[in-house]
Amino acid sequence: MKAKKKKRQDDFQKVKLKVGKKKPRADNATNTNFRTKGIHLPEQLKRDTSGPTTHRQLGINELLSQLHHYNANVKHSALLGLRELLSINPSLLEQHLSRLLSEVAAVFTDKDGNVRVAATRVLRFIAQSVPAERVAPFFPLLSAHLSCAMTHIEAGIQEDAMAVLDVFLEHYPALLAARPAVLLTNFLELISHRQNSGAAKKAQDAKSRMWTLSVNPDRAVSSQQWRLSVLLRLGRFLQAVVEERPVGESDMSALSERLFGSSGEGRIATLYLNWEELIYSKVGVRVYEHSGAKPTPHSTFKLRPEVDPGAAVTEGLDSAETVQSFAATLVPLLLEVWVEASTAHCPSNSTEGAHLLSPDAMSVMFQVLTVLQLLRKLAPQQEHQDALDAWFRKEYLGDFKQHFMKNFPYGTLDTPKPKKKADLKRSKQPAAILGLTVEPLALNITLCQVMVSLSQKQSQGRESDGDWVTPLRTFVRDTLGNTVKLSYRQLHMLLGTMWKMVLTQRSRTVTEDLLAAVYIYYKQRNLSLQTRSLLLSFYSKLYQQEQGHTHIARSKVLCRWLASLPLQLSQLGHRNPALSAQLISSIQAAAARGNKDLLNSLQMHACKLYDPQEGVVVLLPAESQQRMVQLLYFLPKMSQPLLANLSCCCTAGRISAGLAASLIRIVHLRSSLSGWTVGSQEAALQDVDYISFLFSTLIGFSSEDLDSLQEDDSTLPPSPLSPLSLYPTPLEQFTHHWDVVEEVCHCLEMLGSKSQCFDIVQNGICKYVTKLGVVPDSMAAGLLRAVSRLLDLSILPVEPVLRFLSQCCLSLLAMLVTLQQAAPADTNHKREAIWGACITALSSVPRLLRMLLQLLRVSDLNEEELPQLGQILSMLLQHTPLHNQLLANTALLQEIIQHLTRYSRGATREQWLTDLLYCYSVTVAHGSSAHRGGLRDMY
Amino acid sequence: MAAPLEVVLSSDSGSQLWNVSVFDPHSGSSLLSYRGGSSAARSLAVLRSGYLLSAQLGKNFINVWEIQRKDQLQQKIVCPGVVTCLTASHDGLFLAAGVAEAVYLWEVCTGKLLSVLSRHYQDVTCVKFTDDSSHFVSGGKDNLALVWSLSSVVHLDLSHAPEPRHILSRHSLPITDLHCGLMGAQARVATASLDQTVKVWELSSGELLLSILFDVEIMSVTFDPSEYFVFCGGSDGNIFQVSLCSQSLSREKAFQSDTDGNQVFKGHRNLVTCLSVSMDGTLLLSGSHDETARLWDVQSKQSVRCLTHKGPVTNAVIMAAPANMFLPDSRPAIPLPRFSRHLHASEGDGGESGEVCVRLGLNVQDEEETYLQKTHRLNSLMNAVTDKSVFGDGENTKVRVAELEEEVQTLKKVNKDLFDFSSQLLTKPT
Repeated sequence: MKAKKKKRQDDFQKVKLKVGKKKPRADNATNTNFRTKGIHLPEQLKRDTSGPTTHRQLGINELLSQLHHYNANVKHSALLGLRELLSINPSLLEQHLSRLLSEVAAVFTDKDGNVRVAATRVLRFIAQSVPAERVAPFFPLLSAHLSCAMTHIEAGIQEDAMAVLDVFLEHYPALLAARPAVLLTNFLELISHRQNSGAAKKAQDAKSRMWTLSVNPDRAVSSQQWRLSVLLRLGRFLQAVVEERPVGESDMSALSERLFGSSGEGRIATLYLNWEELIYSKVGVRVYEHSGAKPTPHSTFKLRPEVDPGAAVTEGLDSAETVQSFAATLVPLLLEVWVEASTAHCPSNSTEGAHLLSPDAMSVMFQVLTVLQLLRKLAPQQEHQDALDAWFRKEYLGDFKQHFMKNFPYGTLDTPKPKKKADLKRSKQPAAILGLTVEPLALNITLCQVMVSLSQKQSQGRESDGDWVTPLRTFVRDTLGNTVKLSYRQLHMLLGTMWKMVLTQRSRTVTEDLLAAVYIYYKQRNLSLQTRSLLLSFYSKLYQQEQGHTHIARSKVLCRWLASLPLQLSQLGHRNPALSAQLISSIQAAAARGNKDLLNSLQMHACKLYDPQEGVVVLLPAESQQRMVQLLYFLPKMSQPLLANLSCCCTAGRISAGLAASLIRIVHLRSSLSGWTVGSQEAALQDVDYISFLFSTLIGFSSEDLDSLQEDDSTLPPSPLSPLSLYPTPLEQFTHHWDVVEEVCHCLEMLGSKSQCFDIVQNGICKYVTKLGVVPDSMAAGLLRAVSRLLDLSILPVEPVLRFLSQCCLSLLAMLVTLQQAAPADTNHKREAIWGACITALSSVPRLLRMLLQLLRVSDLNEEELPQLGQILSMLLQHTPLHNQLLANTALLQEIIQHLTRYSRGATREQWLTDLLYCYSVTVAHGSSAHRGGLRDMY
Repeated sequence: MAAPLEVVLSSDSGSQLWNVSVFDPHSGSSLLSYRGGSSAARSLAVLRSGYLLSAQLGKNFINVWEIQRKDQLQQKIVCPGVVTCLTASHDGLFLAAGVAEAVYLWEVCTGKLLSVLSRHYQDVTCVKFTDDSSHFVSGGKDNLALVWSLSSVVHLDLSHAPEPRHILSRHSLPITDLHCGLMGAQARVATASLDQTVKVWELSSGELLLSILFDVEIMSVTFDPSEYFVFCGGSDGNIFQVSLCSQSLSREKAFQSDTDGNQVFKGHRNLVTCLSVSMDGTLLLSGSHDETARLWDVQSKQSVRCLTHKGPVTNAVIMAAPANMFLPDSRPAIPLPRFSRHLHASEGDGGESGEVCVRLGLNVQDEEETYLQKTHRLNSLMNAVTDKSVFGDGENTKVRVAELEEEVQTLKKVNKDLFDFSSQLLTKPT
C-alpha cells in the first residue's frame, strides 16, 4: 500500500523551479534553431497554367478577354498580340479555334477602325491556316457577324465588312455560297435602300421601284466607287455560288462543254468490261440497279408527272422563280448604277466621244455586266436558263439596247496624265481595294456575251434582232480576224458568243463570216495547246450540230477546216498525243458521217498517216493507234501503196498483235469478199490487192528485208541437216508474227473456195519464196502453218513448193533440236509453235514427210550432226498422230536408220541411238508385223 | 400433229427454191417454206394480222405473203431504194424499214407513209421496236444509234423534222445489230458494232450502262427474255455469252468454271449474223455465213441441231407460231392496203387526212378496243404486283427484310458449321 502511494508520487513529481538556476529543458520542446529561404520559380509557374505568351507576357486567355475591353487601344493591341501568338504557336489555333473565331468575329462591328482592320488581319491569318471543312461548324456564327457588319448603320463598318467578305470569298467560297439568300439582300442594302412598304403595297407594278439607289454623303469614298466595290464583291459572290452548283464543275473543259451546248453525260457509272477479263478474273457484273423494277432516278422518262409537296421552300437560289425575282430587283439597280456612272463621266454628252470611257466608268460597266452574266448562270438547270433568258429579253431588252448598245464598242478615254495621277492620289483607297484595271477588250467581250444571250432564234422572234446584233457581230469578227492577242478566258467567252450567234442567226453568210474569222485565228502558228484544243473542240462541236442547221452544214470554212485535219495530224506526228487524239476524234466523227471533203483529204494523206516508219499510226499511244486503225474502215478507196504500208505496219511489230489482227479484219470487211454488206457500199479495194496484202502480211518480211538477209553473214550456213539457213528472229517478233499469221489464215479461210485460195498461196510461194536461201524462222513456221490450215484433201501441192516446205520443215526441226539443247525456258512458246507447225504440216500435207525423209542423207552428215538427226527421228517417231504416215514410208525410214547405225558404229553405242532404235521398234511393232524381219536383221 | 408453240423462221441468200422456211425448233423438221425471191439481212417481219414480209435482196421492194399461203406473194411493196432492214411493231400497227440513210415508217392499217426520218448519215443497218411499240431504235453505219419515240414521229407537224429522243453515239465503227429488251419504255437496248464492243443502254435515259470489249467484231446481239444474258455473235464464228447479273462467285465455283470454253458457243466457222432466243430462254438460234443455222442449248452450250441452208443465212428468228400459219383455209383478219410511196400523199388529197380509218373485218373493232384496255389493265396490275412484292409499303418491307436477313444469318451459320466440320474432318488424318 505504501509502495503504491510512493510510486504515484513519482509519477506526479513537482518540478521545483528556483531563482538563479537555469530552467531545465522540456522533453517535448521544439527545436527552432533553423533558418528558411524561399525559392522563386515564376516562369515555371506561369508556363504551367496558361501556355505560351507574347513578348508582353500575355497568354491567349488574357488576350481574348482583352477583346472585351472598353478601350480601343487595348483591343487593338490584343489583336496584334493574337496574331503574333498564333504565328509563333500554330498549335494554339487548333485548341482554341472556336473561342478565337467567336471573339474575333465579334469585333467586326467595333466602332474603332483600327480594331476592325486588325481583326480582319487576324481573320485572314486564321483563314490561311485552317481548311474550310474545319471552319464549317463555326460558319453560321461568322456569317451572322458578317451580315451584322454589312448592314451596320455606320458607313465605316460597312466598308470594312467588304474586306472581311473578301477573306471569306478567297478562302471559303463554298461555305459562303451555301446559304446565299441573306447575303444577297445585304448586298442590295449596301447600295440602295428599300422604300417604305406602304408605297409598295399600293400597287403591284411598283414592285420594281421598291429599291432605289442610295447616296450616302458621309462615306469616305465617292458613292460611285463604293458601288463599284460592292458590285465587285457581288460578282465574286455570285461566281462562287455558280461554281458551287453540284452539276457544274469548275473544270475548264466541263465549262466549255456546257457552253457549247452539249449535255453532261455519264451520270450513271458505265461498266467497261473486257472479254478476257470477264472470263478469267470473274468480275461480278451487275448491270441492274433495282433489277429493273424501277427506272433509275436519272431517267428523264416519267409515266406520271411527279408532285412533290412542300419542296418549294425558297431557301437559297435553287428555283428559277427566286432567281428571277432577285434579278427583277437587281437589274434596275444595275442599270441605274451604270447610267449614273456614264453621265457622271461624260457630262458633255458629245456624240463623237461617247464610246470612250474613263477607267472608273469602264470598271463600273464591267462589273455591271459581269453581275448580269452571272445572274443568267444562276438558273439551276438548262431549261430554267432558257426561260430566264426569254424573261430577260422580254423585260430588259429595250433598256439594254438603250444603255449599253448605243455606244458599242467602247474604248478608253485617254485622260491627260497629271490628272490621272491626281485622280489616283485622291482615291487611293478604292484603287488599292480593286487592284485591277479593266481592258476595253474584256469589257466589250463581256458585253457581247450578255447581249447575245438575249438574242433569239429568228424563226420564232417577232421582231428582228438585226439592228443591235450587227455591231456585236462585227466586233467579234474583227477581234478574231485581226488575230488580237487574247487570253484563254477571253477566247473562251468569244467562242461562246459566236456559238450562240451561229445557232440563233441561221443565216449562211453570217455564219461563213464568223467562222472565217475563227479560222484565221486558228491558223496562227504559235497558239498554246489549251487554246488550240479549245478552237478544235469549238469546230468539232459545231460540226456535230449541223443536223437541222443547213447553214452550218454547207459552210465552206467548216469544210476547209475538216479537209485540213488529216494534214495537221500527219504534221503533228508524235509531238502532242493529246492534241492528236482530239484531231482523230474530230476526223472520225466526220468520217462516220461520210463527209466528202474530209474523206478525200484523208485518202490523199493516208499513205503518210499509215507509214510504217514515221506514220502517226505507229508513233501515237495505243488508244490513238486503235482509233487510227478504225478510221481505215471509212476510207473510200485503199490504194496499193497504202496496203503495202499497212502490211508493213502489221508485221513490223510497232502495233500490238491484237491491233494488227483487227487491222487485217477491217481490211477484210472492206473487201468484196467479206460478205457483210448492208445497203450499197462499194468495196474499198480490189480482190487482187486484198490477197496480195494478205500474202505479204503472211510472209511478214518485205522483199528488201529478205534481200538483205540473203547477204547477211551472221546467219548459219546451210548444212545437210538444215538445207535452208534459218535466220533466228527475236522471241517477241516471232510471237507477233505467229499471231498475225493466225489471223491471216483465218481471213484466207473465209475467202470461200479453199482450193482456189490454196492455189493462190502456192503460186505466191513458188514465185517469191522458193528461191530464197536464208529464211527467217518465223516466216518458215508461218508458211507451214498456213499451208496446213488451207490445204484441202482434194488438191496436191506442186513439186517445188513441196520441196521448199520440206526443207523448211527439216531446218526448223534441226533448229528445234539445237534450241532444246540450249533450253532457255523463255523460248518455250516458240518451240511449241514451231513443233506444232511442223507436225501439223507433216501429218496433213501428203508426201511432205516422204520428201523430208528423202532429204536426209546420212552419208553427208558429220559426227556432231548424227545425234541431232537421231533426235529428230525419235521425236517424230514418238508423235502418235504421225504413225500412219511413218508406216507408209517404212522403207525409207529403215534405210536411214541402218545408215545411222552404220555410221555411228565407231564408238560405243550411244544413248541417243538406243533411244531411237527403241522408238523405232515400238512404232513399227505397233504397225504391221511384216517389217519385223528386217529389224531383226539389223540387230 | 399438234402445231408447235414456237417456230423457227429462217432465210438465206442463196436458195433458189424457197425464200423463208419454217422449222420446228424441237424436232428440227421443216414445216413450211414460202416461195419467191430471197430475203435481205435483218428484213424478216411478221404482222400480227397474218402477213409475212421480207425485203428482197438487192432490190427495192418488199415481198408480202399471207401467212397461210406459202406459194404466192400477196403483194410487193415498192420502196424508193434498196431496203436494208425491216421490222414491224409488236402490235402490228406500224412498219419501219431502213432505205439507204432514211427510216421509212408506214401505218399498216391505211398503208400511209407516216414519216421519213433521215437523221442517219449513212446506211441504216437495223431497226427495232420496243415490245410496247412506243419507241423504236435505229442503228446505222455512221456509228450512231437513234432512239425515236413513236408518238413524236407520228404526230407530225410538217414544219418540224422529228428529233430523236436520244442519240447513242459512243460506238466508233458502224453498228451491226441491235436488240431491244422487254419492258417497253424502260427497256434496255444492246448494240453491237464493228469496233469490237457490245454496249447496253437504258432506253429511257439514253445512258450507257455497260460496254464489253471483245477480241473480234461483233455482228449480232440478243438478250434472253429475262435479260440475264447477252449473246454476242462474233465475226470468227463464236457466240459469246455474257452474264449481266452474275453474283460475285465464291472461290470454289470460280475454280470450276475457269475453263474458257464455258461461255463460248463454238461451232460456226464464219460470221454469226443473227441470233434469237426462245421464249423460255433455253434455246438459242444462230444463223451464220457458213450456210448453217444452229440451235443451241443455252444451259450446256451445245449445238442441239444444225439446219443447213443453201447460202449465207440472212434471217433466223424464233417466234411464237402465228395462229393461222398452219390453217390453209383461214384468211387474214385484216386486208392489207396498198402501201404508199410518197410522204405527201395525204397532202395531195387534203380531205383525206382528216378521215378516220375504219377497219373492215368481223369483230375486229371490238376486239381491238378491249385488247388495248386489257393491256392497260394488265400493265397496271403487273406494275401493282411488282411494286407491292418488291418494294411494298414501308412496314411490310421492313418486316420482310428483317425476316430475310434472319434467314440469311441462319443459313450462313449452318454453312459455317458445315465448313468447320468438314475442314476438321479433312485436317484430322493429316
